[in-house]
Amino acid sequence: MNFAAINYSAIIVDGLSFALPLLIIAIGGIYSERSGIVNLALEGLLGFGAFTGALFVASTVSLFAVTSDVPMYLSFVLAALGGAIFAMLHAALCIKFMANQVISGVVINILSVALTGFLTSTINANIFGQASERFMLQTSPRWDIPYLMEIPILGAAFTRVYPFIFIILIVAAFAWYLLYKTRFGLHVRAAGDNPQALDAAGINVARVRFTAVAISGALAGIGGMSFAYSISTNFSPAIYMGFGFLAIAALIFGNWRIVPTFAACLIFGLTRSAAFQLLPVFDAGAAVIDLAMTAPFVVTLLLLAIFGKKNKMPRALGEIYDKSKR
Amino acid sequence: MSHNEQHKEILLELRNVTKHFPGITACDAISLEIEQGEIYAILGENGAGKSTLASMIFGLYQPDEGQIFMRGKKVHIDSPNKAVALDIGMVHQHFKLISNYTVAQNIILGDEPKKRALGVFPYVDIKSAEDRIEQLSKDYGLEVDPRATISKIGVSTQQRVEILKMLYRDAELLIFDEPTAMLTPQEIESLLTVIDNLRSQGKTVIFITHKLDEVMQVCDRCAILAGGKLVDVSHIKDTSPAKMAAKMVGRDIEFSAKRPSKQIEETVLSVQNLRVEDSTGFPRVDDVSFEVRAGEIFAVAGVSGSGQVELADTIAGLVRPKRGKVMLKEQDLAKLNVRKHTESGIAYIPEDRQSVGLILDFALDQNLALRSYYQTPYCKTSLLNQKAFSDHADKLIADFDIRCARGAKTPVRGMSGGNQQKAIVGREIEQDADLLIFVQPTRGLDIGAIMSIRKRILDERDKGKAILLISLELDEVMDLADTIGVMYAGKMLEVAPATDLSMTKVGEYMMGVTAND
Repeated sequence: MNFAAINYSAIIVDGLSFALPLLIIAIGGIYSERSGIVNLALEGLLGFGAFTGALFVASTVSLFAVTSDVPMYLSFVLAALGGAIFAMLHAALCIKFMANQVISGVVINILSVALTGFLTSTINANIFGQASERFMLQTSPRWDIPYLMEIPILGAAFTRVYPFIFIILIVAAFAWYLLYKTRFGLHVRAAGDNPQALDAAGINVARVRFTAVAISGALAGIGGMSFAYSISTNFSPAIYMGFGFLAIAALIFGNWRIVPTFAACLIFGLTRSAAFQLLPVFDAGAAVIDLAMTAPFVVTLLLLAIFGKKNKMPRALGEIYDKSKR
Repeated sequence: MSHNEQHKEILLELRNVTKHFPGITACDAISLEIEQGEIYAILGENGAGKSTLASMIFGLYQPDEGQIFMRGKKVHIDSPNKAVALDIGMVHQHFKLISNYTVAQNIILGDEPKKRALGVFPYVDIKSAEDRIEQLSKDYGLEVDPRATISKIGVSTQQRVEILKMLYRDAELLIFDEPTAMLTPQEIESLLTVIDNLRSQGKTVIFITHKLDEVMQVCDRCAILAGGKLVDVSHIKDTSPAKMAAKMVGRDIEFSAKRPSKQIEETVLSVQNLRVEDSTGFPRVDDVSFEVRAGEIFAVAGVSGSGQVELADTIAGLVRPKRGKVMLKEQDLAKLNVRKHTESGIAYIPEDRQSVGLILDFALDQNLALRSYYQTPYCKTSLLNQKAFSDHADKLIADFDIRCARGAKTPVRGMSGGNQQKAIVGREIEQDADLLIFVQPTRGLDIGAIMSIRKRILDERDKGKAILLISLELDEVMDLADTIGVMYAGKMLEVAPATDLSMTKVGEYMMGVTAND
């Protein structure tokens, strides 16, 4: 074994490129679940968001200069919008029609895979005139951050950085502020603990939950768009790889709180990139790659088994709030 | 308590307020005038319409007929928000608090003070809220720490938070819906002091209760409701508990049910050197020994948390003892599971009737068969016989006067507390067990139900059953017991025949005062 051959900086860069999209999706889940709505639909939401963003890029790419990064930035806005709109379906089912939240989430996931796959092929064939199951994206630029990149070892975190990392950090910081420091955030967290009390305080529980679920979709959409740029540089149904569920594991492991969830995402991201980088060192064959990709999930299982008991989920999570019931 | 003789401004007036629910008139043309600065009791049995009346004042229901005037102006209170805007506040029977929020966060919820960071970013200004709450809590003698988390504070502190919620919103008219139902005697005392304080600070209080002594202690006037009608309004100084009680139930009430035991026979339950620990290893029951004999009511007195409930749970088999023996006649119960305890002859009326005694979403007939559903006639070759359930329920409904809207199929959740308790008592008595354990059997019930349950306890004793009664109500202990044991901090301080102990003496033992002190 040749440990000198291990590309430590790649572990860090790739780890962060995976961990941060996962974080923003998980924060989306936190918004929904802290408001009391179970959100197993994150997988579907991130996919639908990425679909919307990629569709925008594919249909407007001719309007911009080839080297322009503007479509990329705008695609994140559209992805957030698409995710939010799709999430309203979940919100309507769970809040307005009082459907079972687990079933609604599963249905949204299945619907998202089928719908985006169908729409991508149809739009490609009928509008862009080419048979394809994917929307191509431009390669994302990658930035080296001057000075910071020269720090030993940790400097790797500032080398060849995707711009979406910064988008996510800004959005995540804002999401933290919104959840913990503002009136709206206070109402969201109250809705997930005791909706009756929030109602008695004169706040419209349904509206708070609806907004929280829409935010959940928007954040998941941003995460999905990031994966589309970092993993495949295109949108295709191959984006549904279970990362939405990994985000759920991260937020449970993070106890439905943003900062610990960030730590969980870092663990998952670094585990995954480390598994990739270590494969050549152990001279493992291609067949093992599939196994190595399960590393974050295996870590999830172990961590949940060890720390699961300490978890305190929101008290009213999954509880259908019916005003007329006493 | 002081009375102010001169006539004051009328703060709230109800004129012919009526509310119908399907099949029942909850409030029937009720007219009341509540003066600024008084404590106004609304007294009545469960189901008399007290809570409905309060809910209309607080905007949870709208009256079908009649008008409400606030400070002489006609108002239409169509939501709690509207009530709050009119300076009306309410402490609900079940608190509405966010368990993982601090006291301050709960108080400001829905009315949060806002500031802007850097002139742009709005945020909830928790600091100024905490300061204001500290000030309010000093002004009104409501001791709380604004930074404490709700789930870590006790019931009485949570109630203070609810009171502060109203004061924070500058409420002038404060409605308390059965505020003492969840409290221990000491906590009730301090709540009554707080309410008295509120009056001295110029607030007006509506105090809904069915406990006469509380009304006598703090209230200025008292309206009595029965069956949805206003029966009487009187000044407290001009009336007596007996008069009020008679009006409340529509007949004269005997306050004491006392009957001495006819015959005390052989030992049924024998507890020897029992020690029960909680999960941290702290002894909740510490080296307790006593005997309960057939035809005897052994009442355990003590302040809340002295280990009585753990003692009862252990005898019933819900909790395993660390050391010591529980013998039922000749049988050692320590190694048996709960079902074996039941089958060996123990009936148990638990403290928490809603979570331990009943399955609220099951129908009455199923709840009445919880102890025996697995035996014939309810269950044959693993199949349940629905008819056996409902026949059995019909019999108990008649025997124990359980009032239920839809007979055997009534969901228990919708029944009143008194009728829920009657159902449990009926089910347990029917087992014909040698030992009956009653824990707080009359907690939260109205006078009619209390009397009926106390009478049942005495009847069972007279049939030769051994009764273990655990109660926080000293009146109840004195009234029913043949033998009294007083627990303090997990220890049985004193066991003596009821005739040898005065109420004062028992009270002293409850506070941990022993003969040697």
